[in-house]
Amino acid sequence: MTAARGIGLDIGSRTVKCLVWGHGRILSARKEINTHDPLAVCADMLAEAGHGLTIATGYGRRLLSGYHGCETVSEIKAFARGTKALQPSCRTVLDIGGQDTKGIALGERGAIEKFQMNDKCAAGTGRFLEIMATALGLSLDDFIREAGSAEQAEAINSMCTVFAESEVISMISRGLPRSAIALGIHQAVARRAVSLLEQVGIREPIVFAGGVALNPCLAREIEKQLGKPLVIPGDPQMVGALGCALLAAEKS
Amino acid sequence: MEFNQSHVAPLIDDEFQGQASKRVLSYIQGKRRQGMPVAGLYCVYAPMELIRAAGVVPAGLCSFANKTIPPAEAVLPANLCPLIKSSYGFIVTDSCPFFALADVVIAETTCDGKKKMFELITGYKPLFVMDLPQLPDQEEACRNWTAMIRNLGGFLEKTFERRISEARLEEEIQATNVKNNLMNRLFGYAAATPPVLSWNEAYELGLLAQAASTEDLQPVLEHALETLEQRKVSGVHYGKPRAPRVLVTGCPLGGDSLKAYRIIEEAGGVIVALDACTGMKPFKHFIEEGSGDPLAALAAYYLKIPCSCMTPNQKRLDDLDALIERFRPDAVVDVVLHACHAYNVESYKIMNHLKERHRLPLLKIETDYSNGDVEQIRTRVEALFDSLDR
Repeated sequence: MTAARGIGLDIGSRTVKCLVWGHGRILSARKEINTHDPLAVCADMLAEAGHGLTIATGYGRRLLSGYHGCETVSEIKAFARGTKALQPSCRTVLDIGGQDTKGIALGERGAIEKFQMNDKCAAGTGRFLEIMATALGLSLDDFIREAGSAEQAEAINSMCTVFAESEVISMISRGLPRSAIALGIHQAVARRAVSLLEQVGIREPIVFAGGVALNPCLAREIEKQLGKPLVIPGDPQMVGALGCALLAAEKS
Repeated sequence: MEFNQSHVAPLIDDEFQGQASKRVLSYIQGKRRQGMPVAGLYCVYAPMELIRAAGVVPAGLCSFANKTIPPAEAVLPANLCPLIKSSYGFIVTDSCPFFALADVVIAETTCDGKKKMFELITGYKPLFVMDLPQLPDQEEACRNWTAMIRNLGGFLEKTFERRISEARLEEEIQATNVKNNLMNRLFGYAAATPPVLSWNEAYELGLLAQAASTEDLQPVLEHALETLEQRKVSGVHYGKPRAPRVLVTGCPLGGDSLKAYRIIEEAGGVIVALDACTGMKPFKHFIEEGSGDPLAALAAYYLKIPCSCMTPNQKRLDDLDALIERFRPDAVVDVVLHACHAYNVESYKIMNHLKERHRLPLLKIETDYSNGDVEQIRTRVEALFDSLDR
């Protein structure tokens, strides 16, 4: 692995992640909630990160394009590179972030063979889960806990955030247990993720990255439906930033 | 994306730089002033040679603007293809200048959405709907389409009180072959590495060539060919020399959906082939001359157009093979308009064919005429280029 220094910035819809690579290891990693002014959040993080080539990815990457010599790459490339570093044998990446879901098939040497992304709406992403938690009157953590403790699931059919919310509200008004609804929502999101993976082809090992990989109930549901284990990195949210930092270090 | 030299001479040397639709409108207005009637068209299946032989000017009708979709949605369902919604919206808001000029409208039953939309516009202008066969390889298809073309001839003769002679039809057939030959020579400059012709120039030439007669067009196209040859000699090329070459296939694009081409370019690609009805597709084939049955020759020619409404649409794969051999793309982007089920479903076949036969990756983009998905499309296109092993 390269010893040169590089800075990776992943400007997502919900959080901004910054990672500094140097001397062949991670020197620092930081996460911030994104605001209406992502550039200000990035500027603060970059000031702390110090010198070195910066590569940005995520929805906000174009804001940074040309900013103090900053370069940009697609999230697909960033996640492919980050995953290769964390799990060199990985052949399939599932990334569920704040507003999109990606499936990436990797070749034996980590090259991108094929990828799929959800369409422009945020159905089945982190934001979807947050809105469903709110519809159930739960915090995100409690929502995940409730789903994890459920004995039965109530099937959710809509994946459109607005329609699913109506469906959840009508279930609540029928007196169905919140835990069962919460589990049903997790199962629906898992189904969508599995179908996306099927489109790129599922080969093990499968790495699950992105903020939603921090949700143990969802990871378990995806594993159940796949019938295969998922590898979840220590900090799944930082994979894109790590990929960018490595790409930057390799360029330096 | 631009040329590698500044002050590159435009291919069409007129006052309509950057205003391709106005150029076409001005052409049709000129013909109208000379007393020629105008036929509004929605699709390249309309037999142009017959229309011209009747002394009528063909005019492609507006169908590519997002702004006419909200008024259309007062009547049409929201989950209908944007091209149909936009077309209808232009008519109900009376904002298509080509429709305003048209004496009649000629339409084809390409897809269900269009077919039912045509029923809603019957009251505006005399409308002639042609029943398009969708199994083009069957023997009956050509016979039925010949009959439809004959019926259209009868409609034009009756409406405009004139006769369409076989001799005039034969002349128009020959004229189309001359035009298509010139267009194909022009497109050849996009096949160069790096290309000498930009996608926008190819698009604009196609737009003009659909409306203008060969007689009017020939000097323009010959001048464009000379200009391209000069570019080639003086080392002018379009885009970065090592930019990934992209073939774009799928639904017809124009106006607001040209965003797809722009995003591909902004992501660093260079578009070398436009496999769309608003691109190179209508000029690919030739019509049999001197067949003794010009209507049947026309029918056979038009049934070669590989629209996804046809089944099984093997011609699309065959035409793609020829385009790939000629333009040597590094990747293919399939642009599918929302709710265009035929192109959407066919995309899977295209993807497998490209992978197995050509080892080429395909990116399918599903989009409409809004700008809401530009960044999402950009991410996919950038990722496509990232994934190219070059």
